Amino acid sequence: MAKHEEINSISGLNASKGIVIGTAYVRKLNQETIVTRTLISTDKIAEEMTKLRKAQEMVAEELELVREKIEKNLGPAYSDIISAQLAILTDQEVFREVQAYIEEHHVNVAFAYRVVVNQYVELLEDHDSEYFKERVSDIRDIKQRVLLALISKQTILSTFTIDKPTIFVSRDLNPSDIMMLVSENVVGFVTEFGGKTSHVAILARAMKVPMITGAKEALQYIESGQTCILDADHGKIFIQPSQELLDEYAREIKKMDKREEGFLAAHDKAAITKDGYTFKLGANISLPFEVDDVKKYGAGGIGLYRTEYLYLMKQNLPNEEELFNEYRQVTESMQEKEVVIRTIDLGGDKMSALWDQDIRFESNPFMGYRAIRICLDQPSVFITQLRAILRSSAFGKVSILLPMITHIEQLTESMTYIEEVKRTLDTEKIPYDKSIKIGMMIETPSAVMNIETFVDLVDFISIGTNDLTQYALAVDRGNERVTNVYNHYDPAIIKMILKVVNAAHKAEIPAYVCGEMASEYRALILFIAMKVDGLSVAPGYIGAVRNHINMCEQKHAEEHLKKILQMKTRKEIIDYLDNLRDCS
Amino acid sequence: MVSRQVTIINKQGLHARPATAMVNTAAKFKSEIFICRDEKKVNGKSILGLLVLAAECGAVLTIEAQGSDENEAVEALVNLVNDHFGMGESS
Repeated sequence: MAKHEEINSISGLNASKGIVIGTAYVRKLNQETIVTRTLISTDKIAEEMTKLRKAQEMVAEELELVREKIEKNLGPAYSDIISAQLAILTDQEVFREVQAYIEEHHVNVAFAYRVVVNQYVELLEDHDSEYFKERVSDIRDIKQRVLLALISKQTILSTFTIDKPTIFVSRDLNPSDIMMLVSENVVGFVTEFGGKTSHVAILARAMKVPMITGAKEALQYIESGQTCILDADHGKIFIQPSQELLDEYAREIKKMDKREEGFLAAHDKAAITKDGYTFKLGANISLPFEVDDVKKYGAGGIGLYRTEYLYLMKQNLPNEEELFNEYRQVTESMQEKEVVIRTIDLGGDKMSALWDQDIRFESNPFMGYRAIRICLDQPSVFITQLRAILRSSAFGKVSILLPMITHIEQLTESMTYIEEVKRTLDTEKIPYDKSIKIGMMIETPSAVMNIETFVDLVDFISIGTNDLTQYALAVDRGNERVTNVYNHYDPAIIKMILKVVNAAHKAEIPAYVCGEMASEYRALILFIAMKVDGLSVAPGYIGAVRNHINMCEQKHAEEHLKKILQMKTRKEIIDYLDNLRDCS
Repeated sequence: MVSRQVTIINKQGLHARPATAMVNTAAKFKSEIFICRDEKKVNGKSILGLLVLAAECGAVLTIEAQGSDENEAVEALVNLVNDHFGMGESS
């Protein structure tokens, strides 16, 4: 439907796929509650302070509600942010200073509260540390909530009583906004800021709520109450679309729902080609609650469990128990099915507030401090996570996947840490799976060139096509000016994948693919031809990928691959793949 | 009045989560509690005050308490800081 280039539409990045029709709710930039200054007499001071207490109670109740939602959906380890907000809300020094201000100036409590909190905001804004500056937004948020409660006796949620599907439009979002809004009839998100890989985008994807980010003029052009179509698949929001377009989208949504029903009904079918070649079809997840979807769509396991989220969400490094509880929850609920846990792939576009400022603002982050490099540089971080993973292996079938390995020493050093952790667990008499499998991601050209050495040292390999393409073609996939350079269908990439898969098979270990390419129809024929052992895709793609595999034939695929390997340009390859129907 | 010096040893300093832990601990005591860094002195039961100190790893703080349980209060807060605010950091 990309053909509708209407003027009444805004473009952004597809942060979480899906199409919805709804009414816009626009959270305006810096929507300050208007605070007037009125004089009060001395005998009313106590009354004013009671108003503040009541307002704080109202806001506290709402925060507790958000905490409940976060803990229910994500787990207790994620609610730290709410505890900090509650501490800000109930700060006794603020309370005392407000009282002193009123006593001195005889003004209303809302005015005094704003003055006092603004003083703290100014002090914190002066700090050099980026972290403390970021806390300012938490304080402002609390200030807004308290003023709203003081002046209009309302909370954010009570002003937001919506009974129809709503598309929430704002400058930016934080994870607690998403948790609070999704169960309140919000069916889509549009933000002016934020990237595809931000933790908010990860959360929106996990909750299957369509979202576009980087929609630059959204607040200027969209007004609350307008009917909108959010087509995240094409990164677009249509404002007050024509009836014709609405009908067209309504039909498209109906079609998608129908297809979805079919996929769900086929959840127990195998990912097998017409001529009997079976794939292991796994799911990529970032959050424990996604396991519900994984089961619904009937994945054969979790092919990639990304573990960065907890590190990104927390104000501090998660401890072993927090990690263990999360991993155990996932492995237990997957029962005997394999869960491949990837050790932290932080860095690059996923920077945690944990590291120092100079690390967080590297000039070349994808080539900088990330993934296994962080782990080997900070063994305590690595060991904590390894202990949690190994302990969880006693509750299901767990494998360890190491990201961003570029040279052999990194792999052997990582293995040494794993052995060391196993020995400690032995002496502590803590159970774990002694035959746990260890694999590595193949995502750099050096890993491809040395693949024959690597495959002798690991139990399986998993090809991360996004990073492999980025590093092999030396192209930043987030940079709009060079998006035309980034392409998985470059002959170089296809040859690299083939080389890796062949080497793995020669060493008799399985080769999996877990990048975005694994969920693209046109790429499936290549993987079928190469006899890739397994694919891992987002839970929502399981049905579509399985359905497509079911329509393919392995022996035809091999013939196509032979021809493709002779082709010299991307265009030739893409045209050829697009012209194939159902791999037959 | 009781007063003791401590050094912040957790990597991220006195950020939101440790500050919350400190406020919650301080609130358990009847004594008045102050935390000082250089010329700044803030109420130890106020998270905004603690954040304003911007105490990063290595910062030296003075914990002061005055009241019926001043000894216990200072003891508890010093232990909290030395225990990485109970956040299980290993190094």
